[in-house]
Amino acid sequence: MANINLKAREIEVKIVYYGPGRCGKTTNLEQIFKAFRKQVTGQMVSADTEGDRTLYFDFLPMGLGKIKGYEVRVQLYTVPGQVKYASTRKMVLREVDGLVFVADSLEVRREKNMLSLKDLHMNLKDYGLTIFKVPLILQYNKRDLGEQGLPVMPVSLMERDLNRQLKVPSFPASAIKGEGVAPTLKACLKLTLQSLKKQLGW
Amino acid sequence: MDVKKEIKSLLNQAEVYKSQGLVKEAGDKYIRAAKLIQKNAKNIGNHKSLLQSISKQIRLVKESIRKQEEEPADREMSEQVQEIIRTKFAFSQDEKRLEIDGAIALAKFGQYARALDEFKKILGKEDFRLEAAKNIIRCHIARDVPDDAVRQYNNWLSETFLPGEQLGQIHRLLQDILKKKGIDTLLSAPEEIAETEGESSPAETAPGLNENEILDISSVGITIPEAEDRSRTYEYDVSFQSGSIINLLISDRDHSFLKSIKKGTVLEQTQFYSPIAMFEGKSLVVSVSRIESGPKTGHYSVDIQIQSI
Repeated sequence: MANINLKAREIEVKIVYYGPGRCGKTTNLEQIFKAFRKQVTGQMVSADTEGDRTLYFDFLPMGLGKIKGYEVRVQLYTVPGQVKYASTRKMVLREVDGLVFVADSLEVRREKNMLSLKDLHMNLKDYGLTIFKVPLILQYNKRDLGEQGLPVMPVSLMERDLNRQLKVPSFPASAIKGEGVAPTLKACLKLTLQSLKKQLGW
Repeated sequence: MDVKKEIKSLLNQAEVYKSQGLVKEAGDKYIRAAKLIQKNAKNIGNHKSLLQSISKQIRLVKESIRKQEEEPADREMSEQVQEIIRTKFAFSQDEKRLEIDGAIALAKFGQYARALDEFKKILGKEDFRLEAAKNIIRCHIARDVPDDAVRQYNNWLSETFLPGEQLGQIHRLLQDILKKKGIDTLLSAPEEIAETEGESSPAETAPGLNENEILDISSVGITIPEAEDRSRTYEYDVSFQSGSIINLLISDRDHSFLKSIKKGTVLEQTQFYSPIAMFEGKSLVVSVSRIESGPKTGHYSVDIQIQSI
């Protein structure tokens, strides 16, 4: 559950962007950093490799104002997508309150999407959480690549692959162009705060 | 599709995949394009120069894949990143533990130099001195510099900073690690320990196990052969540890695991994860109790005792 500081009347909410390598998790955070200037409360910090891949995580702090007299601080993280960083992904996921799963719309990444979602499912389970109950949003990213002549999966196929059982809100996006980024984040924050209120009995 | 158009499309896809960082996918497209050109060489006037250019791209892609694969899984990060790790990845509910948990998080993320600095600061705090000292040794080992671990131990041995009993624990920990690594350095034991050598272990210690030889375990993986009619491995973080006794907080949603255990159950296949290594062993369930109050109400508190590592 979110970290609640009764003395300081602060609630810290952790949102994690999950998904296969190179699906656009970091790009989402970069766009949020640009588009949500008023809410962003600090620098975006990236721990990446020389090849520009996320090594540990990206971190972006935001403030959402007050709820019931409590200052709500949101911390956005991305996980490293590459398979070899499995343990880091699990560490970043610890104490998560809400999730955005960024799927790659490219046909060639179909299997990677499914494997990454399975990896998320297993990691959540290890923390005693179920993917069916945790606040989760799906984002189908890189929709724009179809215009460049690349084989992109139809949204209906991605829904069938990834969301048939979950039945969570999903959004098409082109994070590089900033499209679909804000609706994804807003939907995730909404679900997460609803879940938090329920847990707190508010 | 017209062959020339197909080749053009494949090369276009390869370029975009490369720009996306999807180098393996880019390589596949270059290879398919090259095969298509070879197959239709008669109909493609500039096939030789095209193949040359594609071969160069394939080489570059392979080089890029090799670099990625060889990239170390961790490296020293900026102070800003380390500070986030130290402050945001310390999850203890006990405020007193936050400092040492932050240092442990740094070590888990491979930030050993900074972790060492933090553990050295904590050495001054009596409650956490032993834990910090053990982790200093582990950091040196994780950095693959056992000589530094030995030097550090010898420094502590020549000082009066660590009490004899704690120094004895460090001695056993390091000697055990050195032995497992096949390093035949024999450490001098602190005087008090040398005098008591040969005495039996404390009564509460599991048979065959020396309490002091047990590493701090951060999580466990327990394999139940017949959980829900199939073999399943359950992984849990360690809530706290006292010598060979490990406490786990298990959610009441973990029905299948809770159904499989009771006081006295021997868990034949237990994996113990410490910050530096994983050990296979056996454990015994010593208590299972439901938590009746507080934020973890409804969860189960399970104590297991390490029987063998």
